[in-house]
Amino acid sequence: MQLITILVVSFLGAGMVYLAGMISGKTRNILAVLVSLAVVILVSLTYNQKIYTSFYALPFLNLSLTLRIDTLSWFFAIAVAGIGFLSILFSLEYMRRYERLNYYYFMMLFVNAAMLGIVFSADFLSFYIFWEIMSWSTYLLISYKGGKAVAAGLKYIIMSVAGSLAMLFAIVSLYTSYGTLGISNLASLLQTASPGYILFLLLMFVIGFGIKNAIWLLHTWLPDAYTEAISPFSAVLSGMLTRMGIYGFLLIMYTILGLNVLHKLGYGILNFNYILSWIGAITIIIPTFTALLQDDAKKLLAWHGIGQGGYMILGIGIATSLGIAGGIFHTLNHAIYIVLLFFAVGAIEHQTRGVRDLNELGGLIKKMPVTFIGALAGISGLIGIPLTNGFVSKWLIYKTLIMENYPFLAFAALIGTWGTILSVYKFLHNIFLGQLPEKYANVKEVPWTMQLPMILLTLAVILFGILPGIPLKVISGIEKSFGIKPVSTGIFGMPKEIGELNMISILAAVLVAGVVVYLLFSLSAKSRRVDQYDSYAAGSFVPKDRYQFSVRFYDQAYRIIGPYLQDVVDDFYYWLVRKSRSFFQLVRQIYTGNVNTYALYILLFLAFLIFVKLGWRLW
Amino acid sequence: MVIKAIWIVFLPLIALVIGVFFLGLSRKIIARIQCRYGPPIYQPIIDVIKLVNQASISHGRIFDIGIILSLAGSIVLVLFIPFGGIAPLATSGDLLVVVYLMLLAPLGIALSGGEASNPNVSIGISRKMMLALGYEVPFLFAILAVMTHYKTTSLLEIVKAQQNSWWGVIYLPLPAIAYFMILPAMLGIRPFDIVSAPQEIASGPAVEYGGRYLALTTIEHAFHTFIVIALFVNLFLGGGNPFTFFVKMLVIFILGLFINAVFPRLRIDQAIKYCWKWPAILALAGLIIARIV
Repeated sequence: MQLITILVVSFLGAGMVYLAGMISGKTRNILAVLVSLAVVILVSLTYNQKIYTSFYALPFLNLSLTLRIDTLSWFFAIAVAGIGFLSILFSLEYMRRYERLNYYYFMMLFVNAAMLGIVFSADFLSFYIFWEIMSWSTYLLISYKGGKAVAAGLKYIIMSVAGSLAMLFAIVSLYTSYGTLGISNLASLLQTASPGYILFLLLMFVIGFGIKNAIWLLHTWLPDAYTEAISPFSAVLSGMLTRMGIYGFLLIMYTILGLNVLHKLGYGILNFNYILSWIGAITIIIPTFTALLQDDAKKLLAWHGIGQGGYMILGIGIATSLGIAGGIFHTLNHAIYIVLLFFAVGAIEHQTRGVRDLNELGGLIKKMPVTFIGALAGISGLIGIPLTNGFVSKWLIYKTLIMENYPFLAFAALIGTWGTILSVYKFLHNIFLGQLPEKYANVKEVPWTMQLPMILLTLAVILFGILPGIPLKVISGIEKSFGIKPVSTGIFGMPKEIGELNMISILAAVLVAGVVVYLLFSLSAKSRRVDQYDSYAAGSFVPKDRYQFSVRFYDQAYRIIGPYLQDVVDDFYYWLVRKSRSFFQLVRQIYTGNVNTYALYILLFLAFLIFVKLGWRLW
Repeated sequence: MVIKAIWIVFLPLIALVIGVFFLGLSRKIIARIQCRYGPPIYQPIIDVIKLVNQASISHGRIFDIGIILSLAGSIVLVLFIPFGGIAPLATSGDLLVVVYLMLLAPLGIALSGGEASNPNVSIGISRKMMLALGYEVPFLFAILAVMTHYKTTSLLEIVKAQQNSWWGVIYLPLPAIAYFMILPAMLGIRPFDIVSAPQEIASGPAVEYGGRYLALTTIEHAFHTFIVIALFVNLFLGGGNPFTFFVKMLVIFILGLFINAVFPRLRIDQAIKYCWKWPAILALAGLIIARIV
């Protein structure tokens, strides 16, 4: 009953918000916040419960639509609900300048409701229905702004439909083979299936989930979609919506098939998990270094969204208890810091009237300190600086890769981090540091409804960085439900048998060292504050506002690595589009517009039918 | 526990003394190679004392916090790197933690320098980032070779394993050579002093620093020198007791100095290409051997 309540509240709430918008904007906003908050509370109440309900029996196919919750669903559900709430809160002020707000809030709540439906589904039919609701409402939200956004949305929906079809193919095949679509039924039935059939199923699901999670080769929709979507929705999209793919991977690989079945797929190094891990590794390297070349703040983050997805795939693919824990934990961590970063970009965009070109910003730290702290916490989490959340999850992945003797995968994961540092420092420097251009002299900090989500997320970044045991406890419950040895964890780090990691010692050391250095610093001779133009330029004159030194920040590195980073996959898809277009042009020529030709077609077709009727004989 | 607490206080001091000694020594040795007399070895101490008493300018809060973060990060790092059997915090973090903690110092400098809004600073930082991308490739190959060979990520275990048999450099010569080849790049000394490059970009990230800021960067530099060389001794030269550890560090440092004192500065693209060529190839070959054997 509880699950049905949650879904009813979230779906009906979305509709109510739309209706409330007819009355007044204020009612709508308050109701939207209340609905999303109610969903957070309702979902958090289901912690540690095991529920299974059937909510609708289909009058055909002998199937019923069912819901369930376990630790894995709860983990994703609470993240979806939390991020949904924060993004609604952020939207209140951000969306003030836009039109069609009733539609916007309706769609935002609706897409969150669909995601909750996906993680609560207990059978593949409900899963597929909610999945499609999510995909189509995502399309509508991506193209909300019109113009370029529509093109981005179309690119997304075409790939998404291709993925859904692959998934539908697998689902239909499951139904015809086993006569049931219930996840727990299939989990036991598929244990004895032939490896060939399992491989076919996995391939279909990997295409479906891989497109959503943007693994390399299937990633090309993502940069445009993240960039063109409206910022609060970019946050939802990158935080949780894309990661429904990860949920799907976990569901099919571990909840349903399990390690025993997966180990039988393939020979030697040519097995499913190892290949998936390498796809994850490539997904880390190429997009992370592509992010280095971007000048659009949101596009830079979008490429990192793909790259960080690679860490999750890598962790899940390596299939050790540490690796899976790292992959799931990274999903949560990524959601936290990437949402924070998209909010920060949104705040900048809001206050500078839509500027997000990194070459036009600068020096905003003095005007927007809270946003700066949010962005700093966000990039620290993204890099994985110790004491922020991204560190522990990446550490788990590196650790397992090294201990299981996969040094080259470990290298891919580690070097990805260094690519990340370069590009996110450029992000931070070009927006907040450097000289403040005169035109931004009147920029102010964002209002508190936009600050609050950023502050909460900043705290979460630090909290999970210092106390990784909190989420890891839930994650070890997830691993127990997979039938894998659960990762053992302390509240501050890892126990001795796993490795040497204790965040509280690191925190204490940093704090003490910081205080000592601060004392030394404050006891020395004082310094005098000067303004930004009072700087030393070795005798040359630095003209105001004309010395843009952040353009092509890593020029020498671009020249070396740039040529290798053409998005060949995207080029290939466009080539395919051009070729098929010219082919269809050819096909179109049969429509001549002349009645005589059409009459000829009819005659020929009739002749063909007679020919068939005569049994394919000419005489 | 008490002993541990004492070492937590003393190890950074030892590291500071050694680091400052190395800075002074390097100036002396380079001067002698170039037929000059050179300053006394304790010159860095005099500099720091002078600098903390001098007035300076500040560009804002991050300008101050960044510089504090960078020095604090280096001090923390010292506690995680075993120094001849003394390693007060090494059980709280392994080599992976050390590699990540090595980010704090440059990040602090980058944040602080960024707020200075001086073109030369930004150029210097962008060079530092690119140089780091350059030398991290061979560096990561080298440490992965070590971790793969010893089947552990713990620095303590790596040192212990070497004391029970031959030094790491015997089993892993190629990664050791690669690490040695990028040592000047990691230390930021010639021919890789691209980041500061006084004649081109007026000392890069340090342009706007004066007084106490410059004092803190000098101290940070001393710690950084200690860390990079101590890591090398731990990974490839088998640690040792504090005295032999120091001697090994000294030998490595002076060897590096002799080789690098006579080379002119590289351009940044040359430096990246250098790092990605021979050191990376050697370290990768070492990693492949370590993986197979």
